[in-house]
Amino acid sequence: MIQLKDISKIYGKDGQQVRALDNANITIEKGEFVAIVGASGSGKSTMMNILGMLDRPTSGEYYLENKEISTLTDDELAKIRNKKIGFVFQKFHLLPKTTAIENVELPLIYSNRKDIRKLAVNALAKVGLSNRGKHRTNELSGGQQQRVAIARALVNEPEVILGDEPTGNLDSKSGLEVVEVFQELNRSGKTIILITHSGEVAEHANRIIRIHDGKITEDYKVEKPLDARTELAELKKVIN
Amino acid sequence: MNKYKIIESSFRILRRNKLNTFFMILGIVIGIAALSLTFSLGKSAEKQLTQKVKNLFNPNNILITSGRVELESGRSSESSMTNLKIEDIEMIVNEVHGITMYDVIQTTPERDVIFGNKNISTAINGGMAEGEIVWRRSVASGEYFSKADEKSSARVALIGTKIVKKLFEGSDPVGSQIRIGAVPFTVKGVLEERGIDPHGTDLDMNVIVPITTLMNRLMNVNYIAGAKLEVEDASKTEEIAGKITSVLRERHSLNNNETNDFSIVTPVVVKEIIGKMNRVFTLFLPLISGIALVVGGVVIVVIMLMSVSRRVSEIGLRKALGARSQEIMFQFLVEAAVVSLFGGIIGLTIGLLGAGVFMSSMGLTFYIPWQTILFGILFPIMIGVLAGIIPARKAAKMDPIEALS
Repeated sequence: MIQLKDISKIYGKDGQQVRALDNANITIEKGEFVAIVGASGSGKSTMMNILGMLDRPTSGEYYLENKEISTLTDDELAKIRNKKIGFVFQKFHLLPKTTAIENVELPLIYSNRKDIRKLAVNALAKVGLSNRGKHRTNELSGGQQQRVAIARALVNEPEVILGDEPTGNLDSKSGLEVVEVFQELNRSGKTIILITHSGEVAEHANRIIRIHDGKITEDYKVEKPLDARTELAELKKVIN
Repeated sequence: MNKYKIIESSFRILRRNKLNTFFMILGIVIGIAALSLTFSLGKSAEKQLTQKVKNLFNPNNILITSGRVELESGRSSESSMTNLKIEDIEMIVNEVHGITMYDVIQTTPERDVIFGNKNISTAINGGMAEGEIVWRRSVASGEYFSKADEKSSARVALIGTKIVKKLFEGSDPVGSQIRIGAVPFTVKGVLEERGIDPHGTDLDMNVIVPITTLMNRLMNVNYIAGAKLEVEDASKTEEIAGKITSVLRERHSLNNNETNDFSIVTPVVVKEIIGKMNRVFTLFLPLISGIALVVGGVVIVVIMLMSVSRRVSEIGLRKALGARSQEIMFQFLVEAAVVSLFGGIIGLTIGLLGAGVFMSSMGLTFYIPWQTILFGILFPIMIGVLAGIIPARKAAKMDPIEALS
């Protein structure tokens, strides 16, 4: 599905160069749930930008479905992002003063899809917010806002969902709920890539890639991933 | 791209950022209101002016005035104001062929016109009996003074309707005794109503007496201010004007290096003057208001640039979600165009209402020129889109990573 070959990203000019990514090689198959873990400054944000086609590598090749994409124009990349990738950000990035349903519609505006409203309603239902469509985003809780963002990521039926610290701004319960949605999506066949600094969140993935100083230091399968649904059920028990 | 949805979301954004939208619209409103106000005022004034000048001045008319009149300033040099005599005009008519009729003109400064215990101050005009035909203005009641009145310097006067209204309060003035200054006159007729002439003189305040009476009894001068001639063949007015010039120069013994001590106005000259005035009305005034509109455009640029900076993360998000540069640009241009269209419609309404109120308060007819409406709607959209281009390009070029971080 996704193949990165010898990807490097260098910032700055001669003498003061920073290698944010150093010859990274990653292959991600369709249907995987991968967590990319690293401390801040490790290069994981750069990895996220490159994986999400928001940025171009300084050197190396990026194949999406066996197609080299680093030579494409900005507008061509925009179209691919629109079709293939659903973004979920740490700060939600919902439009202010705008209803949940309008936010979910956003990627569809830039596609050729028909029945935009209907698709958006369905996507909101998938994240359990059917009754919140008409609410403005500032009237929703953090967890609800992030679920609106997930609905927005889903609405155009992309192959890959890319989460950039999606639980970073949430309390642990809301965070777990978001992770639960990701696991659910993965079970239904979506490829999930989760960028996080939290080892605990990463334990919910099937595979963990660790980045340190721009280099991939570890890449391994998780034998028994944590199940967010069970954890939430236990949490409920504790509270009761 | 789903254009309809983008337009819809532009409307939503404008609606939800009321203060921004208000100021952008205000900028355009002021510009368009000023533009449509001056332009429609200009057009109305131009139309009436042209009409009135046509009434006054026909293609077969030639106007001779004493003194060298600078057309631009309308001023004459004082020194030569006393050189033109009735005899000059008589000689011209005798020597130059093709002149069918003429009237001579002289005017006093303002004088008191008194009836009973009422008085009104106005300039007194002197003319010949032919003035009735030459100026195409007869009497509404009573009769015009005669050639005999002119020969005997009779103390008879023709008065305008406003004077009648002020001095006689509705009673019939014909035959009444009035005084002009200390000199008693008999009202012989009431002049037809004419309104205000292009110079702003109220023609219904006119008092006309025989030219001889004016010169001998009211002013004690032997010169006239000018004369209006009618020629037989309108196509020959320029040629005749040339002949008049040489006759007058010879009679006034002017050397080749001396300038004329008189001026001759022909239809060609009048056309030039009208053209110049029209340029003031329909070019210069709208140009000034056009500047106001450009300021409105600048307001849009500034506010939209601010709005782009404030909406960095929105733009970055849209790009991350798949918006191409042109789609981002389209959105901002739609916002600018919508704002300008609204501003244009409101401004147009205000401007036309203002012009209508102004014209009717001046007692003038108001025309709504179709150009105003067309420009009032198309021009602001153009300005808005032009003004929107800079902010829209800035937005479109934005790097989604910087915008999102």
